Amino acid sequence: MARLYIDDDSVRFIRKDITLVDMEFYDGRKFEDLEPRRLFPRTGLGKYITLLDSEGEEKAIIRNLENLLPESKKIIEECLDEFYLIPKVTKINKITIKSGTVKIDVETNKGQTVIETRNILHGIKRIYGTRVLFRDSDDNRYEILDMHQLDKRSRRLIEEYL
Amino acid sequence: MGRESGQKLAEKECNCTEKNEDGGKKVKPKGEKELLINRKISDKDMKKITKAVEGEIKFIIVGDLDLKSKYARSILVVTDKKIYAFDDAFDGEVFSKEYGEIKKAYVKRYYGNAMLILAEDEDKKKRTNFIRFSYKVASLYDAAAYFIENVASGKDMDEEMDAIEAAFEKQFSVCPKCGRTLIRPGAECMNCQSKNKMFKKMMKYVSPYKVPILIGLLLSCVTTVVALVPPYMTKQLVDEVFPNKDERMLVIILVALVASYIVQYGVGFFRSYILRIAGEKVVTDLRKDIYAKAQHLPMTFYDRTSTGSVINRILTDAAKVQDFVMRITQEVVIQFFQMIGIIVIMLTMHWKLTLLSLIPVPIVVIGAKIFGEKISPYYRRIWRRWSAATSVLTDTLPGIRVIKAFTNEEGSTKEFGSYTDELLKTVTSASKITIMFPHIVSFIVTCGSLLIWGIGGFEVINESGSVSPGLLISFISYASMFYGPVSFFANLNDTYQNTLTSAERLLDIIDAEPENDFGKGNKIDRLKGKFEFRNVNFSFDRTKKTLNNVNLTIEPGDIVGIVGTTGAGKSTIINLLMRYYDHYDGEILVDGINIRDIDMESYRSQIGYVQQEPMMFHDSVFNNIAYGCDNPHIEQVINAAEIANAHEFIARLPDGYDTVLGERGIGVSGGERQRLSIARAILKNPSVLFFDEATASVDSETESQIQEAIERLISGRTTIMIAHRLSTLRKANKIIVVDKGEIIEMGSPEELMALKGKYYKLIQIQTMSDQIRKTKEEERFE
Repeated sequence: MARLYIDDDSVRFIRKDITLVDMEFYDGRKFEDLEPRRLFPRTGLGKYITLLDSEGEEKAIIRNLENLLPESKKIIEECLDEFYLIPKVTKINKITIKSGTVKIDVETNKGQTVIETRNILHGIKRIYGTRVLFRDSDDNRYEILDMHQLDKRSRRLIEEYL
Repeated sequence: MGRESGQKLAEKECNCTEKNEDGGKKVKPKGEKELLINRKISDKDMKKITKAVEGEIKFIIVGDLDLKSKYARSILVVTDKKIYAFDDAFDGEVFSKEYGEIKKAYVKRYYGNAMLILAEDEDKKKRTNFIRFSYKVASLYDAAAYFIENVASGKDMDEEMDAIEAAFEKQFSVCPKCGRTLIRPGAECMNCQSKNKMFKKMMKYVSPYKVPILIGLLLSCVTTVVALVPPYMTKQLVDEVFPNKDERMLVIILVALVASYIVQYGVGFFRSYILRIAGEKVVTDLRKDIYAKAQHLPMTFYDRTSTGSVINRILTDAAKVQDFVMRITQEVVIQFFQMIGIIVIMLTMHWKLTLLSLIPVPIVVIGAKIFGEKISPYYRRIWRRWSAATSVLTDTLPGIRVIKAFTNEEGSTKEFGSYTDELLKTVTSASKITIMFPHIVSFIVTCGSLLIWGIGGFEVINESGSVSPGLLISFISYASMFYGPVSFFANLNDTYQNTLTSAERLLDIIDAEPENDFGKGNKIDRLKGKFEFRNVNFSFDRTKKTLNNVNLTIEPGDIVGIVGTTGAGKSTIINLLMRYYDHYDGEILVDGINIRDIDMESYRSQIGYVQQEPMMFHDSVFNNIAYGCDNPHIEQVINAAEIANAHEFIARLPDGYDTVLGERGIGVSGGERQRLSIARAILKNPSVLFFDEATASVDSETESQIQEAIERLISGRTTIMIAHRLSTLRKANKIIVVDKGEIIEMGSPEELMALKGKYYKLIQIQTMSDQIRKTKEEERFE
């Protein structure tokens, strides 16, 4: 079967659960309990959103969220926000290293937390020059969207580990 | 027990506690069963909980996210009556569910967070998003979900508590020092076990060569003392010989100078040679040790670390440490003794001038400290960039065929170029500091010399008598000699910081936790081949569960086929049986013994493992078959090749068994490589055999040859085979169907066919596709 791409307003989405939606085409086709997931969680936040059913089978791909009806776009974005928890680091309070474990006390858009990683090389990675991704020892993710948006002290603290 | 008992428990909670990594407590009320809680909560909160809940509290999980996925504390309280969620997002509102309302309880994993979901029907249509949490507590919630579902389905609560206790025990099994999870409670932390100072660790490599190093150091003392002679002779020449026109003395001094130079350079050569050899030996030992350690690192290390990075450490970083060891053993000692010797001589010559010459030293020392702090992050960054560039090389060069096939030579060059450009950028930034610092040091030191010239010069001109021209010239010579070691030690910091980064990376490997071998020494003679999986859960990382509550039994002599779609978890079962990964929940037993309790080497030596893409080494066909066997007889190897249907094609090769294969077996076809790997397994004479899609990438004829070889090999041995082509499982007496990490069907092929489930469907699909394939192959042949 040819892959079903959605890139216009011929479809509407109805919120079903925190991460689930129903999808209705104006020609009458209907799909229930679909979970929107990013095909490119790192690089394409609003593009190529796959819609999986409860068996994990792909039913359609949204090419670009911008092309959806505003209400549908909002629903999909809300679902994605529920699914993907990648807190955005806004400030670095303190970095300590003890017995090889790096603890980074940070403020994020989701509140204050401590990122713990046992391996700087694997746990902290800079991509595209100014974006920094963190992966802690429990496989939780965090990111600094743009190093330049951090205050000077935070930048100085993190730069030592990049 | 109802609300009252909970209250009672809270009142007694503070009597006896045990700290865990989060500063949490295992609460042990006196005379009562220990309350399971993963993190400390205040007495006030505990009282609030006990007031709100009904029934006896079985366990509490304190999480870190609220339902709106903000960082906040959320608490799951499970009692014998109900399940409660305390979530700050809803202003103290408490959600609760009774067991009777629940049909399904499961953890839904999102990205970076997860949710405990309680459903009121089997189809999970009527469900409640009960509590959200990050992966930090995911394993506890997994156990909680099983508990809730099992208790809701009527299973005995006390029996189900065993699994909960095991999950909490694992959570508590953390090293108090570094917080790493231990493989079992009370186990020694592999990270902290050897966490001594870097110097001490490096000294381990130096100590075997202490005799030549000590001889070298003694010779260094000799050369240092001799090197101090010439300036003194200069003073004699200027102050005594020239004014008195003493020719005899001039000759004596010249002879003495020649003698001192002969001793200085002759002994210097011998010293350098001894120390060089000792230094080389130290680094060779270090390199061997790192490679040996790399062999015993778990697969999880290699899953996360690029080969390029490991190669970089073994070669480049070890070389940097080697350079530093050389400098330490050869130059540092000489410079140090020279510095002390010069100060003593200078003090005896003129103490005031000596004090003057010491003025730049504190400035240089402080400068070196600041420099060290500034440069250290740069070296770390350079290391990372360098490692990334090396990784591109190790990744792309072995795949040069693919690069050429896709005509991506330019793209590949660009990629490497961008990494090296990044490296260049970092090196350029670092260079500003590394070049500026020695120049600043030289400037300060030169100013120090000017100070001596100035003060000493005035003394000479004013003829005060305390400084003669000869003494001043001689003193300046000593001062220059003194500033040499000062500059050396100041600049040594640069090399030291650079080496420190490399040493850190080397210790990353040396200190990395090796594969856990807690059963070391517990060898087994021969495996009978009975395997059991008991409630095995596994995930490579916490984002996705690869195996979900797997239970299975394989009897000795069974030929078991594991089938399922790609990514279902088939190979993971074999990976766990091979003990490539040990961090699973549950138990895997062989002949009734937990596989973790068996000596790793003894266990693996009894397993023959044939992989989908067999790994061949750049060596002869003979050595590739005999890999891992000590001196096998030639005929044993030939026999093994014969059984594996490999002998015929080997005999046809111009160099026969002496044919040297290219890297990763280049030079023979995929099917031939596979037969060589089967021959390798045959030679090992294993008790059990694992085949991971051994015939997946070969044509029908080769497949039948390999199949024939496999059938000869497996007779009488417990065999586990993963196969996409179900025709390869015709000898199997048991089939396990895996789907999304769970076993969905298990039984004899006939039973599963009668069941008309997934296996039946797979057979139907494959029969059709086999027919199509056969027709196409026949067409092609014609």
